[in-house]
Amino acid sequence: MANTGKSLRTPLSRVRYLGSARVGAEENWLQHVTSVALIPLTIAFAWLVLTLLHKDYNGVRAELGRPLPAIVLVLFVLVGLYHMQIGLRAIILDYVHGHAREWALMITAFFAAAVGLACVYAVLRIGFV
Amino acid sequence: MASTESTSTPPPARPLSPHLGIYRLTLTMVMSGAHRITGMGLSVGVLLLAWFLIAASIDATAFSYFSAFIQSFIGRLVLFGFTWSLFHHMLGGVRHFIWDAGYGLEHPEREQLAQATLIGGFALTLIVWAVGYAVR
Repeated sequence: MANTGKSLRTPLSRVRYLGSARVGAEENWLQHVTSVALIPLTIAFAWLVLTLLHKDYNGVRAELGRPLPAIVLVLFVLVGLYHMQIGLRAIILDYVHGHAREWALMITAFFAAAVGLACVYAVLRIGFV
Repeated sequence: MASTESTSTPPPARPLSPHLGIYRLTLTMVMSGAHRITGMGLSVGVLLLAWFLIAASIDATAFSYFSAFIQSFIGRLVLFGFTWSLFHHMLGGVRHFIWDAGYGLEHPEREQLAQATLIGGFALTLIVWAVGYAVR
């Protein structure tokens, strides 16, 4: 704990997520930054899906193998999952209590990491293999 | 990690401020819930995108399973829900930015903003699906 010396609050109250954790502004800022990024990315993603809609396997692979669609997809997935994790964390901290909260937070982090890695690996494999 | 909420001593009953139950349901309240629900829906929906990308990276057989699902009635329904959630949540975010800038917080504007988000989300969804069916 960096500022334990200055604070009258016990470390246990921080562990229990009671009161201010002093990281809310940073989290809110990151949620805003990812929101702004996701507006053009969502429009680009919707456009990409429309171009893929009536393509077969080879057509889809050819399209996803091009640099621009691949970059749009990787950015959309990574920024989206980061945004998702902040949002889900807010929902979990509001409604889930006790040990279930710790499990829910860990599962959210594992889910974001696993889905992000899988999607990026798949896009790179389509492009380079 | 030690037990975060001790079971031996129950927490003292604290006074509660009036919460959701006693207020008349308004559109802005529903939209607040809808923003979270669509966010959670998109969190699950990202698995559809992951399935698509992984299938396309494996081989034609793996892709054919995804292709068959997404073209089925259930698949189209899920994709429609995903599309609507995506646009509704995006416009909900824009609404929050308008509030952050200090606009649209007063009585008629906030209801109009909620209505615009609701209509805009469905409108964008229908436009994208219309384009999807029209362009072949």
